[in-house]
Amino acid sequence: MKRLLSLHALLVYLFLYLPILVIVALSFNEGRRGVRFTGFTLDWYRSLFQDPRVLEYFLNTLIVAFTSTLVATVLGTLLALGLVRYRFPGKGFLRYLLYIPVVVPDVVLGVSLLLLFAFARELLGFPRLSLLTVILGHITFQVAFVTLVVRSRLLLLDPGLEEAARDLGARGLQTFLHVTLPLAWPGVAAGALLALTLSLDDFVVTFFTAGPGATTLPLYIYSSVKLGISPKVHALSTLIVGLSAFFLALGYALSRRRI
Amino acid sequence: MIARFSLLLLALLLTACPKRAEVETLYFLNWADYIPEELVRKFERETGAKVVLDTFESPEAMLAKLKAGADREFSLVVAPDYYVLQMAREGLVAPLDKGRLAGLANLDPFFQDPPYDPGLQYSVPYLWGTTGLAYREDLVKGPVDSYGVFFDPARQVGPFLLLDEMRETIGAALRYLGYSLNTTDPEALEKAKELLIAAKARSVGFAGGVEALNRILGGDAAVSLAYSGDVLQARQEDERLRYALPKEGGTLWTDAMVVLKRGPAQDLAYRFIDFLLRPENAAELAAYTRYATPVAQAVPLLPQEMRQDPTVFPPEEVRAKLEYLKDLGPDIALYDRVWTEVKAR
Amino acid sequence: MNEAATPFQRFFRILVTVGPGGLWLFLFVLLPSLLVLLASFMTRGPYGELTGPLGLHNYLRLLESPYLQAFAQSLWVGVWATLISVLLGYPLAFYIARHPRRDLLLLLLLIPFFTNFLIRIYAWLVLLQKEGVVNAFLQAFGLGPFALYPSFAAVLLATVYTFLPFFVLPVYASVERTDWQLLEAAYDLGARPFKAFFHAILPQTYPGLFAGSALVFIPAMGTFVVADLLGAGRVVLIGNLIQQQFGISRDWAFGGALSIFLMGFVLLALYLYARAQGERGFRELV
Repeated sequence: MKRLLSLHALLVYLFLYLPILVIVALSFNEGRRGVRFTGFTLDWYRSLFQDPRVLEYFLNTLIVAFTSTLVATVLGTLLALGLVRYRFPGKGFLRYLLYIPVVVPDVVLGVSLLLLFAFARELLGFPRLSLLTVILGHITFQVAFVTLVVRSRLLLLDPGLEEAARDLGARGLQTFLHVTLPLAWPGVAAGALLALTLSLDDFVVTFFTAGPGATTLPLYIYSSVKLGISPKVHALSTLIVGLSAFFLALGYALSRRRI
Repeated sequence: MIARFSLLLLALLLTACPKRAEVETLYFLNWADYIPEELVRKFERETGAKVVLDTFESPEAMLAKLKAGADREFSLVVAPDYYVLQMAREGLVAPLDKGRLAGLANLDPFFQDPPYDPGLQYSVPYLWGTTGLAYREDLVKGPVDSYGVFFDPARQVGPFLLLDEMRETIGAALRYLGYSLNTTDPEALEKAKELLIAAKARSVGFAGGVEALNRILGGDAAVSLAYSGDVLQARQEDERLRYALPKEGGTLWTDAMVVLKRGPAQDLAYRFIDFLLRPENAAELAAYTRYATPVAQAVPLLPQEMRQDPTVFPPEEVRAKLEYLKDLGPDIALYDRVWTEVKAR
Repeated sequence: MNEAATPFQRFFRILVTVGPGGLWLFLFVLLPSLLVLLASFMTRGPYGELTGPLGLHNYLRLLESPYLQAFAQSLWVGVWATLISVLLGYPLAFYIARHPRRDLLLLLLLIPFFTNFLIRIYAWLVLLQKEGVVNAFLQAFGLGPFALYPSFAAVLLATVYTFLPFFVLPVYASVERTDWQLLEAAYDLGARPFKAFFHAILPQTYPGLFAGSALVFIPAMGTFVVADLLGAGRVVLIGNLIQQQFGISRDWAFGGALSIFLMGFVLLALYLYARAQGERGFRELV
């Protein structure tokens, strides 16, 4: 039984890695098409680095990711705090509202934002579709995730600690900064990391909210695939896979050290 | 700490705002792979402006993008001829200020008053060509000379793709059935729809022009509707790729540049149009894309094999059999409906 | 909790914490959803714009054959993707949870998970092309080449591939928390291994199983990218329909109805799930 389980696991891992490994291999292939390995080359990587547009898309992706993560983390943490600590009318409704970006398929989120921006443009004259609208879209789904993650962390905290701080004379903001926030920090960090990942990976919402000059890497990969896959995209993908693997491994090594 | 935090936040938010306000920028929306980079750089060097190029693979997607609000984002768009009057009606394009376009005189007389935009009220011709059948000669098991390769199971020569352009593909079905490409007869359209749905089931999918050729080159498909110049460009990569006009007659089209009414940098748009009307630039554009140029004075500047190539410059008797796609006015909604239903299955 | 604070202070604190986030959700989640709802009752004008009259025509159109078919196909993809994910992922979760080097195994599982999903999808395109890897492999044995894509199977395969890690993680979390002593107890009571597992272990993994299934089923139903890239227009799911309406078809009204329909279906399914599992089970989802 154990052997069967091991074999099964091995096969699943192979299944998970096969496509990625093929792309990595093809990124070094001299031939533009097909899978026959005609020669080893770094040309595709060279052409990738020499393409100024790819660098621009990369920067766009980063700008969107960091800006939206920052805003979403602040909004989400505060919201989580409010939801956990206080009672107010409409709280239940707000909690259900929170789940919508999480459970509803991306397409619906994307088109609803498209509609919002279109209506806003008709009524107010702005905003134009651009990097800003992409950021606004990303923040929307990120806030929900951050709130939920921070909230689950806050629920684990002992409210007695805050009370103790208050008994010692700390004012609201002080309590928040010196007691609540440090205790909630792992949750906030986890939420921020999740938000960052979601933003870097996002395609569908970006697809509906991006304007010219707001192309991100996922959008670029999509249109490249539609036009006809070139090994240049394989090179880009390999780099992305490599970077993700690197950061994950780093996180893994760091977490082991901490313990 | 709060102060530093909010300052950081502010700084990050500011970097998110449009940063290219200082340099004048032309936002150009064009078909994929339809202008050589060097030509764009040349314009940038000449004017000191920046050009941001965005591309589309299907004209329907382009129109949808503009209607969704992107018409305020772009200065200049290259659109198929049958879209020009439609875009003008929909308020996307304003009449041209011809005084700013000295280069119009360089155009061939035919293109100074083309059927799709009489008197060139709204657009300036960019390139022209034909739409026909592209195929890989080693993958087809029969003659490629008719739309039957898509619509007649008995005449299928190999796996085929359907072109992701509404007017061209519905047009092919209509011509196969013996109707005009521009008919608004509901019965004709209904029959075309049935034909397309059946063909779709036998096809290996829909693809835009460039994607279709890439898939044929990759061996996924044997034949597809394609644009003449794209095929010639792709032939440089693989000589097995061939182009033929179907016996029912293909389409003759002109792509045209339009200036968006609500777009930015209108002055730059005019300058770019005038730039492309210059014979040496028009020739460079045509030579790269392998399409025919409407600029009469540019033709002698083209490489000889292009001037003599009947695919690029079809002779009179061939042109007589080809049909132009025309603007259909509000009747376009009939085609929209057919296309939606074909795509929805 | 905050007995020392004045009502004004309390109000202020609620405003500061819940205010910004709440306002954002109202503006960017509630309002757009209402706009979609409104659009779903409107009509497509001749040039694709949204106009009156208001009516249920878009919803009635939903019931027409091609659209119901797309919905059925989406359900089919969702169901099959979930079943296959269970088949592949459930044993895997156990394997990882009981393994001494499980953090390493988790890391290996997460690397594809963190890779951009577009890359993961187009990777299958490369594999399944006529002159692609799988066909090259088959040809070595004298088989094929086959037109493996576009096809429903290709879309299903890539969908499973994309969402499998989403399934494994919650199940793994559940398995980690299972009490194996119950298994011992079952053996002591004379149960055979299979039955013991069925009654002692499986029920304990239900929360993870349901959460993982939801995390596969819903996106699999609602995605359009996989079908777009691997279906090349021949596989049309509800997500593709929606994207088309807001794209080439320029029928935002009908697209609105499709969106409301999808959203409604998903929320209904989740509501039923929450009722069945209880509030705690729902929170497990996150």
